[in-house]
Amino acid sequence: MIAIQILNGLVYGSLLMIVASGLVLIYGLRRVVNFAHGSLFMLGAYIAYAASLQFGFGGGLLAAVAALAAVGFCLDRFGFRLLQDRDPLTVMLVTFGLLLVFEDVVQSIWGKQSYSLAAPEALQGTVDLFGSPFPVYRLAIVAVGALVAACLVGWLRYSRIGLFIRGASTDPVTTAMQGVNTDRLSGGVVAVGAALAGLAGVVSGPFLSLSPTMGSDILIDSFVVVVIGGLGSFAGAFVAAMILGQVQALGAVYLPDLAALLPFALMTAVLIWRPSGLSGSRV
Amino acid sequence: MTRLLKFEAVNAYYGRAHVLHDVSLHVEAGERVALVGRNGVGKTTVVNTILNLASLRGGTMQFNGRAQQGLRTYTAARAGIAVVPQGRRIIANLTIEENLLLGGAVKRPGPWNLASIYELFPILRERAHTPGTALSGGQQQMLAIGRAMMANPSLLVLDEPSEGLAPVIVDQLAVIFNRLADAGTALLLIEQNLSLITRVARRLYVMAKGSIIEEGALEGLDIEQLHKHIVV
Repeated sequence: MIAIQILNGLVYGSLLMIVASGLVLIYGLRRVVNFAHGSLFMLGAYIAYAASLQFGFGGGLLAAVAALAAVGFCLDRFGFRLLQDRDPLTVMLVTFGLLLVFEDVVQSIWGKQSYSLAAPEALQGTVDLFGSPFPVYRLAIVAVGALVAACLVGWLRYSRIGLFIRGASTDPVTTAMQGVNTDRLSGGVVAVGAALAGLAGVVSGPFLSLSPTMGSDILIDSFVVVVIGGLGSFAGAFVAAMILGQVQALGAVYLPDLAALLPFALMTAVLIWRPSGLSGSRV
Repeated sequence: MTRLLKFEAVNAYYGRAHVLHDVSLHVEAGERVALVGRNGVGKTTVVNTILNLASLRGGTMQFNGRAQQGLRTYTAARAGIAVVPQGRRIIANLTIEENLLLGGAVKRPGPWNLASIYELFPILRERAHTPGTALSGGQQQMLAIGRAMMANPSLLVLDEPSEGLAPVIVDQLAVIFNRLADAGTALLLIEQNLSLITRVARRLYVMAKGSIIEEGALEGLDIEQLHKHIVV
């Protein structure tokens, strides 16, 4: 029983990790706390749903990731770049406004009823784990999460662009002084961050049900992950996502009355212990 | 000779604050020029104008004879003007080697690469994989110089490189700057340290209150007079 709950925690942790890593990327380059991120997650799920009716799950996945990358690029080009000298609070309000706009757009196209995205056939069914059946699809989510983490780490640590991103996320001015076009870099990075939110939305489609507000819960948990991990730190966000996934999964079973409170209790405790988060590299 | 950098009656601002008033100066290929003046006269604003961190609202600025319009912070590096900024600005979450590689972002051809920078500053090779900020002040200055040279610039702009460093380190800097200049890189040295200025520069500009008040060759200059312009 507890082993199954830990696995469920791993599944949710993987989703959180994908969403939070997009938030970390965007915060790093643009210093924007992107409230619209949850609606990008939701948009990914809906676009995949619409495309999957024609082209199946794989087609839906590709369509959603590509569409969200385009949305992210436009968000940076026509949003964050124009607002980069404004008060961070203004930018935060704009992203909050976008969240409402995206939700309304989706609601006016698909209505309020919830939909379900069908998992690919090969991943339907269950396997026996620790004596009880466990959906294969959930294991696939963990695999996707691990793959995303490995790709991100490899990209950021070993590529030239990754070096520029790490430099710019600590000191954009000095990085630009070396001849790096940080605006173009940010466009690409926000596109990747948005595509990751879309990817998480798609893979959680068969697991959660689709509704215009489906992004809100995971957005709040992702913010908790980013804060616990230490703003702008990937390693911190990975670890925090896994911890929060476990807290949510185990909390729902063993402390159901307090489950809603646990993420915030955890965040408060971590911030008292380490005010700049687990990684502690930056405030 | 190629004119690498030219300011013609440049007026620059931070927001509404008018800092540079009709500043004209130029640096030719291979030259060793110093820009001196007291604290707060606008020397760093000259650098910030090159980097588009202060806004240019009057006069013209040319890189390699081309007037700069729609200037961005990354333009200077791409035009072969590398800056060693005041306070060094070593990026803390990158290793020493990564800081150097970041300096090579523009990929201009030339003699400077990781191997030749490590040869110039062996300490950087020894500690290549430690964070850049784990170095002492003097070593960080060497890292900042190495990072700028990785771009193979035709002009190296140095903003107060001796600030906060022990005299023995400043002596080393003088040797290094002369070596870089001998290898063909032009220098624009913004400084208040007279001994460094006199050992490196051949020509100088004196700034006061946002304007150039004197210029000329360093040779035969009255050092006492120069001292007055620099010391508060």
